[in-house]
Amino acid sequence: MSRYEVNVLLYRLKKDPVFRARFRDDAAATLTAAELTDEEREAFVRWDPRRLNELGGSLHLLISIPGLGGH
Amino acid sequence: MGTIVYAAAMSHVLYPDYYGKNVGPHGRRMVEELIAVVRDMGCDMLAAKPDALVVIADDHLNVFSFDAIPAMCVRIGRSVQRMVQDDAIEFDQALDGLPQRYPLHEDLANRVLEQGLESGFDFAASWSAPLDHAFLSPVSTLCGPAPVPPLVPFWVNCFVAPQPPARRCFAAGRHIARVVAEGPWRVAVIATGGLSHFPGLSLARVGTSDVPFDRRLVSLMEAGNHEPLCALTMKDLDESGSHEFLNWMVLIGAVSPARARVRFFGEMGRIDLAALEWALA
Repeated sequence: MSRYEVNVLLYRLKKDPVFRARFRDDAAATLTAAELTDEEREAFVRWDPRRLNELGGSLHLLISIPGLGGH
Repeated sequence: MGTIVYAAAMSHVLYPDYYGKNVGPHGRRMVEELIAVVRDMGCDMLAAKPDALVVIADDHLNVFSFDAIPAMCVRIGRSVQRMVQDDAIEFDQALDGLPQRYPLHEDLANRVLEQGLESGFDFAASWSAPLDHAFLSPVSTLCGPAPVPPLVPFWVNCFVAPQPPARRCFAAGRHIARVVAEGPWRVAVIATGGLSHFPGLSLARVGTSDVPFDRRLVSLMEAGNHEPLCALTMKDLDESGSHEFLNWMVLIGAVSPARARVRFFGEMGRIDLAALEWALA
């Protein structure tokens, strides 16, 4: 369980436009160094907000990341 | 001797475009009705000529990250900025066009913080945290074109477990009331947020609210019956989606045993919008 890591990444996606642009270009490569479980990594790469939320990702972050959020 | 001259609580996304987009014309109309009520409440607040405005609200992981989330935090310093979010979407857009900087009531904020620490409240202090929509959407609506009274922003962690218990929030409000009473100022106090939305903080449940739960809260506030509110558990608040009622609990502690008067209650489906005022002695 890496709820902390999931939310740190979500926070960075919201607040860091450069990181966000890299993620949108190549999510898998952007997350190479992140300490995620396989399930978490897959949810990020597929950009599956519901699954990320089920895995502990903050609802408020998931709905407010520019270009990726919304509900 | 200081006095709380005005007390109210209200929903804090006072932004018609958000509800227009996510709910439709019905949502837009309802929040426009609420905004009109809050503007009217603001006239009452400003007529009370407060020297300071204490705003009790929560952070939406805009300011505090998972690196450190205070249970409660007092913003100190001389002024505070509004949050800036690039390409803001959804409710962050409620901040667009608002002034970038607001005055703080430095003396009152310091007293809330320092006397809190002396009396057993381990409040965090921030010199730099900006304010998001939870603070500035209600404040800007209440004040309209009038100058905003010097603020004392007070954060409660409503969303990241473990949150402070309802009874602890009530006690923090009692503390604020004591600080105000011992000071020389006329103070307005508002709490923001809610009511029920985002039950379980689950993306799958966005779009639903718990109307019976909120009607019970409102009826207890109207009756001035605060013990059942103090007994609310985080499980109660999480399952109903009334997480932000923790902010209201601080306000209730500050004004207890005063009774509330409902100025607005609207069942939108996605959220229960509300605005209440307290009759102060």
